Amino acid sequence: MSAPIEIRGVTKHFRQSTGVFSPPRLVRAVDGVSLSMKAGGCFGIVGESGCGKSTLARLILGLHPVTDGDIAVDGKSLATMNRRERARLIQPVFQDPFSSLNPRRSIRDIVGLPLAAQGASGGEIDRKVAAMLERVGLRPDMAPRQPAQLSGGQRQRVAIARALVLGPRIVVCDEPTSALDVSVQAQIINLLNELRRDLGLTLVFISHNLAVVEHICDEVAVMYLGRVVEHAATDALFRAPAHPYTRALLASVLTPEPGLGIPDVGLGDHYPDPANVPPGCRFHPRCPIAAARCAVETPAPRMIGERRVECLLA
Amino acid sequence: MSALLEVEGLRVRFNSRAEAVRGVSIAVNKGETHCLVGESGCGKSVSSLAIMGLLAKGGQRTADRLAFGGQDLRGLSERAMSRLRGDRMAMIFQEPMTSLNPAYTIGSQMAEVLTRHRGGSRRAALDRAASLLGRVGITAPGMRLAQYPHQLSGGLRQRVMIAMALMCDPELLIADEPTTALDVTVQAQILRLLMELQRELGLAILLITHDLGIVARMADRVSVMYAGEVVESATAGALFAAPSHPYTRGLLACVPIPGTIARGAALGSIPGTVPRIALGFQGCGFRDRCALADASCAGAVPVQRRAAGHEYACRLEPGWGERALGERALGEQA
Repeated sequence: MSAPIEIRGVTKHFRQSTGVFSPPRLVRAVDGVSLSMKAGGCFGIVGESGCGKSTLARLILGLHPVTDGDIAVDGKSLATMNRRERARLIQPVFQDPFSSLNPRRSIRDIVGLPLAAQGASGGEIDRKVAAMLERVGLRPDMAPRQPAQLSGGQRQRVAIARALVLGPRIVVCDEPTSALDVSVQAQIINLLNELRRDLGLTLVFISHNLAVVEHICDEVAVMYLGRVVEHAATDALFRAPAHPYTRALLASVLTPEPGLGIPDVGLGDHYPDPANVPPGCRFHPRCPIAAARCAVETPAPRMIGERRVECLLA
Repeated sequence: MSALLEVEGLRVRFNSRAEAVRGVSIAVNKGETHCLVGESGCGKSVSSLAIMGLLAKGGQRTADRLAFGGQDLRGLSERAMSRLRGDRMAMIFQEPMTSLNPAYTIGSQMAEVLTRHRGGSRRAALDRAASLLGRVGITAPGMRLAQYPHQLSGGLRQRVMIAMALMCDPELLIADEPTTALDVTVQAQILRLLMELQRELGLAILLITHDLGIVARMADRVSVMYAGEVVESATAGALFAAPSHPYTRGLLACVPIPGTIARGAALGSIPGTVPRIALGFQGCGFRDRCALADASCAGAVPVQRRAAGHEYACRLEPGWGERALGERALGEQA
């Protein structure tokens, strides 16, 4: 059974200490995001580092409290759930399987930990762990091994097994293949896709790899400095990006097609800083088509057909 | 004309147990980008470090030929090598934060490169540093010279690294995954910059990457590495048009190319993982993961010549891939 996710006006601000004598900086990691994610779909969130995509993932997982706004799953607010309830519903798969698995525990203990936390018996844990390992393409006899004895791809399979062992309805994947080699990355993408279909999962897929996002997601939200600047069905977004930032992002994807050279993305050397959000449209200092009013007017989200765009000029 | 960098039969072993590089041959011409591509552990970085004489302790290098601009590098003393490095051959690494000294300003680190290799005044060196920072697209270079590495973003730091590598007008630039730590938009900017600089300065670039997209867009020539060996070598056009080693073909099938594969359809993948090669390993390093391997793959591997300048190491003869596809198409029709 899958579940829809409703994100309403969510904001997350962090106070970043800058030293003993200077005042803390306010980092606007997520700054007013509203999204609805369909049950059983694969929802992609893309953007550069510092755009807030990982913070949004952690908010959906309930790992941070929101500063403002609300996230509801199946109509029920995350804030009203306790940890165990949340864990049965939503599970994470993180980027780096080398650091997200406890090096001193066996695979059996790592995958079985969520079960143990919910109070399952030893025999039940053994049985479910073995079945889960098989489901993600590992041999059940690997259960006594430790993470160091596995390859990167196998470790990520362990992380996926741990995420699925409680039978959650939503899995939030934060850059699940970025630390892996190309050939292994394809194995993991195929596995996630297959599991989504077979188990009816809702996948939230956060990545900077646009080719992978295009391949597996049905809908994509593009984030820039804490805001969703464009949200559309994958086909529409990749075929005709409406926001200049989306266009730049897509232009910078280097597909393996020789002879095309390296495109000019036209963004200059101004890098975004979530502690220092520009006034007006927050993309205007880097925008290749910015007009004078972009520096003063803040764009409101607008619907253009089926897509939602935050740009004064789109 | 002989190549600027000539490497033949390069071997690297560690602690006389594992062999990381097993007979690699590459040649890089002036003004050319040669990509060394492969997955982690294939020996691409170790090869480049061995060429520069920067192997970690315990690493032993042997080669049949290792020459830079006609000069044999094998017998060169550490002192002579370090005179070459940063001067006529320069290197940029993946993570600029670890290659820049956090305790010194950008200006003093950049100036030192020039004054150490070429002498001259610090003032002149700082002027050159400022003009190179401008050249790599950094606005307000004067201000940046006075800053410390931690005050810059990742993209700016990598630009600084490139500018620093160019201080002495090198002939060869070895770039080891120079954009892997960067965002895609910044990556495109940095790679574009490298291409422009190459055209302008006639640089030879040895680019080490795992990213086939970068290879396709940047490379003149490509060497695909697997388990310490070059398994296929060709021009970029030929490699992508007619990949001939089973590993190269497998690798290309793993990358989703928009418009060529249905959404959600399974991507190609290569089962298993890169093996650890023990000393005295014989035969094809890929045979355990190769669907087409047979008993003969444990013996000596012949080098096949697909076309002039396009070679691969495999028992399968040129054209096997097309024939396999043709047979499959016939089978589907029947």
